Amino acid sequence: MATLAQSPNPDIALRIEGMNKYFGNFHALRNIELTVTRGEKIVVCGPSGSGKSTMIRCINRLEEHNSGRIVVLGTELNDDVGNIDEIRREVGMVFQHFNLFPHMSVLENCVLAPMLVRKLPRPQAEEMALRFLEKVRIPEQASKYPGQLSGGQQQRVAIARALCMQPQMMLFDEPTSALDPEMISEVLDVMVTLAADGMTMICVTHEMGFARRVADRVIFMDRGEIIEEAPPETFFTASRNERTRQFLSQILNH
Amino acid sequence: MTDLAPPAPGMLEDLRRRFFASPLQALVSLLSLGLIALVGWKLLNWALLSAVFDASQGAEACHRAAGACWSVIAARWRIILFGLYPYEEQWRSALACVAVVAMTVLSCIPAFWTGRRIAAIWLAGTTVFYVLMKGGVLGLSHVGEESWGGLALTLFIFVATCLIGFPLSIVLALLRRSELPWISRTTGLIIDAVRSLPLISILFTFAIVLPFALPHWLQGDKLYRVIVGSALFFAAYQAEIVRGGMQGVAHGQGEAAMALGLSYWQRVSRILLPQAMRNALPATINQFVISFKETSLVVIVGFFEIIASGNAAYGTGEWRFAYAEVYTFIAFIYFVFVFSLSRYGAFLERRMSVGER
Repeated sequence: MATLAQSPNPDIALRIEGMNKYFGNFHALRNIELTVTRGEKIVVCGPSGSGKSTMIRCINRLEEHNSGRIVVLGTELNDDVGNIDEIRREVGMVFQHFNLFPHMSVLENCVLAPMLVRKLPRPQAEEMALRFLEKVRIPEQASKYPGQLSGGQQQRVAIARALCMQPQMMLFDEPTSALDPEMISEVLDVMVTLAADGMTMICVTHEMGFARRVADRVIFMDRGEIIEEAPPETFFTASRNERTRQFLSQILNH
Repeated sequence: MTDLAPPAPGMLEDLRRRFFASPLQALVSLLSLGLIALVGWKLLNWALLSAVFDASQGAEACHRAAGACWSVIAARWRIILFGLYPYEEQWRSALACVAVVAMTVLSCIPAFWTGRRIAAIWLAGTTVFYVLMKGGVLGLSHVGEESWGGLALTLFIFVATCLIGFPLSIVLALLRRSELPWISRTTGLIIDAVRSLPLISILFTFAIVLPFALPHWLQGDKLYRVIVGSALFFAAYQAEIVRGGMQGVAHGQGEAAMALGLSYWQRVSRILLPQAMRNALPATINQFVISFKETSLVVIVGFFEIIASGNAAYGTGEWRFAYAEVYTFIAFIYFVFVFSLSRYGAFLERRMSVGER
């Protein structure tokens, strides 16, 4: 039994041990065990209400876990505010509903956190923002406001905004579920590029094509538990778990 | 073949359709038009055509005329604007008004909306006002607060109420949202308690009852106690307006800011408040307008604000008949300030709607 405290392995990006989460009396997450190495891409799927979003929201303390341990990039997630700040600086997050700041231009959205949190001077922050907007293929929208963009464009800005903090790990919480179908691929393409660059990624998504192309491991959750954990080819074709097979048949055969 | 929109009706045709579509409608339209014309003519005749503007013949000329007696304003405007302030020193009161108005106008210009500039403007404005009004330094003779009056007093009470009350309202709104129940409940209790009291009773308490309860060094002049009471009242109402604005900000906004590593104060000042204030703007302007007009209540605790000074202006024997003119003049002053405030609110709404589809 190797416990992480004694051996901080620099290759490990995330370790969750025996984590439980309750909402009142509702047991939302049960005994979660998960280890993610640097550069790994994890896709998390499962029926709605299975705790996928709650799990990744625990990783940057948008939700507080009730027991167990979470160690992110070598920093233990506990009540120490300094630790929480450190983890949030190094972990980027992309939300289902984009959550861009509507009162700021795209560029302001991107430079805000680097300037306030990383104390970057404005010229450097803007230069970096434009570089990442280029990477998500919308540098020409920098001076527009989020309300003037399509859903797909907004989500790409949200990805650029997270990247501007130069995070070591990215969390995606159903990044394409709120998009019109014709906009899904432009966001997935950006995520594929990001994966190819070696970013550590944890994605909650039902885009099984994306999982096949990009994921190193697929994690299946149901009723707050991790039911199965397998490389995509095994997961999609040779799962021996009844609930997994049922879920896959529901989302693939329609 | 073509799909052009049908041509818009001409102005005459438009009038006919709107006001003369049926005989009955035509009759009502004509009657209303006649009524408006009649009232308009009477007003014009009273206010301008038959009015007396020349103050040199005193009140006598007014008794002979059928129209308004504007000479009362020419003769008594200094009482209306400056109240009981010593006659030879009234230029100071005038300059003080200018200082307060300049301070307000400057702090309404977006270019000055940084913490340091706003603080500098407010500090300079209130200092200039206070030194000019109170004197006792720089060779200015001392004039106690009990002699302040008229427009200068009204403006001072309003501006001071807002300067204290507005930041306080934001603090109260944030405390009421606190995750610690004992803080949010206590704040809620304070806000609701203040809101359930009439402003007059609060002014009375602060002006007259508080001196019995407070040690002498804490009392300050009655004027400042009244301002504190009025600011508290303003803050209680405005806090609920700000809180309403905050409830309109999507939950995900705070989460996104948290995930980016922003601290509590950064989230509040950069993400939450700008959006909340945009939501709350119409109600906020409304609250400012109400507060401006409510300054007239301080007459209850013995201050000569502009309406009380107006009463004094026509209260002497010679001008006793000219109250309508004096009140019209005061109404005009109120209108200038409140209307500017509303227009400024409209400007802000346009400015803040940038980026909305």
